[in-house]
Amino acid sequence: MFSEKELKREIIRVMKVLYERELISALGGNVSARMPNSKEIWITPSGIFKGDLHEEDLVKIDLEGNIIEGFMRPSIEWPLHVAIYKKRPDVNAVVHAHNPVTTGLAIAGIELEPITVEAVITLRKVPIVPYAYPGTDELAELVAKHIEGARALVLQNHGVIGVGYNLVEAETIVETLEEVALTQFVAMLASGKKKLRLIPYRDRELATRLYRM
Amino acid sequence: MDMKEKWFSYAGQIIRVDLSRSKIRIEDLKEEDVEYFLGGQGIATKILFEELDPHIDPLSPDNKLVFMTGALTGTMVPGACRAIVAARSPLTMGWGEAHFGGFWGPELKRAGYDGIIIEGKSKDPVYLFVYNDRVEIRDASKLWGLMTSETERSLKSELKDNDFKIACIGPAGERLVRYACIISGERAAGRTGMGAVMGSKNLKAIAVKGTGEIEVKNPDRLKRDVARLYPLIMSYPPTQILSSYGTNGEMLSFYKYGDVPIKNFTKGEWDGIVRIEGKNIVKKYLVKHKACFSCPIGCWKHVRIDEGEFKGTEGRGPEYETAASLGALLLNDNSESLIYLEKLCNDIGIDTISTGVTIAWAFEAFERGIITEGDTGGLKLKWGDYKLIIELVKMIGTRRGFGKLLGEGCYRAAKTIGRNSIEIAMHVRGLEIPMHDPRAFKGMGLQYATSNRGACHMQGFFLRIEQGERIPDLKIYRRINRFDTKGKGWMVAVIVDWHEVLDALGLCKFVQIYPGHVAGFYSIATGYIKRVRDLLLVGERIYNLKRMFNIICGMGGEYDKLPGRFLKEPLKEGGAKGQVVELDEMLREYYEYRKWNSHGVPTLEKLEELNIRSLVEKKVRELNLKIHFN
Repeated sequence: MFSEKELKREIIRVMKVLYERELISALGGNVSARMPNSKEIWITPSGIFKGDLHEEDLVKIDLEGNIIEGFMRPSIEWPLHVAIYKKRPDVNAVVHAHNPVTTGLAIAGIELEPITVEAVITLRKVPIVPYAYPGTDELAELVAKHIEGARALVLQNHGVIGVGYNLVEAETIVETLEEVALTQFVAMLASGKKKLRLIPYRDRELATRLYRM
Repeated sequence: MDMKEKWFSYAGQIIRVDLSRSKIRIEDLKEEDVEYFLGGQGIATKILFEELDPHIDPLSPDNKLVFMTGALTGTMVPGACRAIVAARSPLTMGWGEAHFGGFWGPELKRAGYDGIIIEGKSKDPVYLFVYNDRVEIRDASKLWGLMTSETERSLKSELKDNDFKIACIGPAGERLVRYACIISGERAAGRTGMGAVMGSKNLKAIAVKGTGEIEVKNPDRLKRDVARLYPLIMSYPPTQILSSYGTNGEMLSFYKYGDVPIKNFTKGEWDGIVRIEGKNIVKKYLVKHKACFSCPIGCWKHVRIDEGEFKGTEGRGPEYETAASLGALLLNDNSESLIYLEKLCNDIGIDTISTGVTIAWAFEAFERGIITEGDTGGLKLKWGDYKLIIELVKMIGTRRGFGKLLGEGCYRAAKTIGRNSIEIAMHVRGLEIPMHDPRAFKGMGLQYATSNRGACHMQGFFLRIEQGERIPDLKIYRRINRFDTKGKGWMVAVIVDWHEVLDALGLCKFVQIYPGHVAGFYSIATGYIKRVRDLLLVGERIYNLKRMFNIICGMGGEYDKLPGRFLKEPLKEGGAKGQVVELDEMLREYYEYRKWNSHGVPTLEKLEELNIRSLVEKKVRELNLKIHFN
């Protein structure tokens, strides 16, 4: 059985990968996860170098933000994490990163297109959440509104969010976002066009039916 | 209650000294007090509220002077160096409290004590000697009359040990100047006249040396987390300015907001500002950077003047408050005189803020013809006359001539003179206004008006929020407009409560550690698990108990005021041009958030919520008072 200890170890691993892949910076980005059906989550701390976190740095909070275990200050983005868990009982992991290409395209007003199989199957739809200041209840409310039916969000002028049943799924989404964004960016740059060749409609439709999107 | 076997971060003992009967007793720190009041001024508040009749004469043997260290003082938490001193204030006649950094607090804890309660009055001048478990009252007749720096030197040489940390008073404290301070190695417990209370007890100094260890619950974890938060702490922009230039490094930035008081708060612009701001002073006169115990910043700038009129002056460079109160406030743009005055005030042992504001009152009164040479003993008072300012400071310190009146503080001086001069006395509850103009940062106005010790900038420093700082831990998310008033009631209250926490923990407010991390450090160091909201509740409790102390002194809601100048006289120029403080609106919101009645008295429900209802009711019964709580 998957234990809380493993959950914490997994959070640390994901943070390390995100840092090494340059999807988060020294003090940016945060990850949380919970045991399925739990009303408490483990979240990364605020203000501590993200490339070298340890299990004892993690903080356990309830869905009101009260600290249950751990000493350090929880990520200032905890309101948006708990907002997602409250809205989505199926979600057990939330990854928030600062993917440069994905965020950059959104700033340029460009949405991600169904250009690869991953874009269609892994990401499905990617809503762009209007800008709100990090750490605020306002941002948390906006995220809660947009997360319904989505597994990936772009936060305007801020970064991205990936959610999943577990950490690997949420991590995959954040990495795929960047992969698709980069591919799309290369395609647009190389062709000089905004209109790109997309995955054929029938395959997109099939995916829609398969995953009941 | 059972004695606690082992304390972490706390020493576990308090020294009680009765100077009238030359008795010394060592008492146990109460775990219950730690739980409800944390440490520092929190525990001092509990002790004084419980033990003192707030109606006693502050300068009589009946007053008690409590020195306390913060809960984290002496640990490796950055900035954990502070000690506090509290008593009924002879300046405000209400709650008195002052804080100081340096090394004295950590040393006292290493000697094995969290604090010292001084009672009674010695017949002759004495000093208190504390060396681990040796605590003695010793003769100080040879020290009486000495400047603070001389006192420290003489005492160390008498003890033949430079490791002793000294907290002492200067001539001003001995002569009961109402805003006399206590000095410890150039650090000042400046405000509310705690030096006068010490002087009234014939206590010249407290010399402390400790060779013990201050143990923390989880040293490895503390060390690791401190090291890892260090980059975050040092990345806070004001911290970097403090580190390079000291507190006066921000003067020009404050000036742009119209925040620096000029000519007794009557002007918004002054070209002398560039000559007294800290960057230039540091560039020209710096000898070395110094730092208090456990401080990564080092805002303490040691300076020296090598030539000219003030040649040979050496010591702590002028802090912002000094450079503003004895500089801009008096139109004195002679920076070398400010270096000299900082040294002189520290040596004499007077609070530079109260000194400057009281002199400014006199200058303005003289200019307006409210007072004349008949009142000043022939002195012609003139704005910007630094030689005269130096002379007045010396007269205050020795209570000579016109200095005697000025040594009473601006409120009493104005009351004595009459002739409506109270209109230009810049004070709240009798404590002189610090060097941030509330017309530039209106929340600061609310903070001044409601601060328990009188106009105080440090118990909140709300202007940081009004400059745009956000503290999500305290639900302050939005950048707010410094001129707005809406919403500031609750925000000021929360920030003030949080600052009570920082004071009780002995943390320096110049070291920016976010509340969540502070709670973590407290838990790791003491072994008592506390979260931000637990700590905030303690802060609110301390603040409200002090408020009750003031209410019992007869200083309740009717004292929540600002000088009329801030309410009715907008500045004609500068960064706060045209602004006045809309205090009433903010006060209403503040009372409501605090659950105080319309007279500014905490309701019984609030006292109950804070677990101090029985403590307060007992006191009210004992003193046979009638207080309307609802």
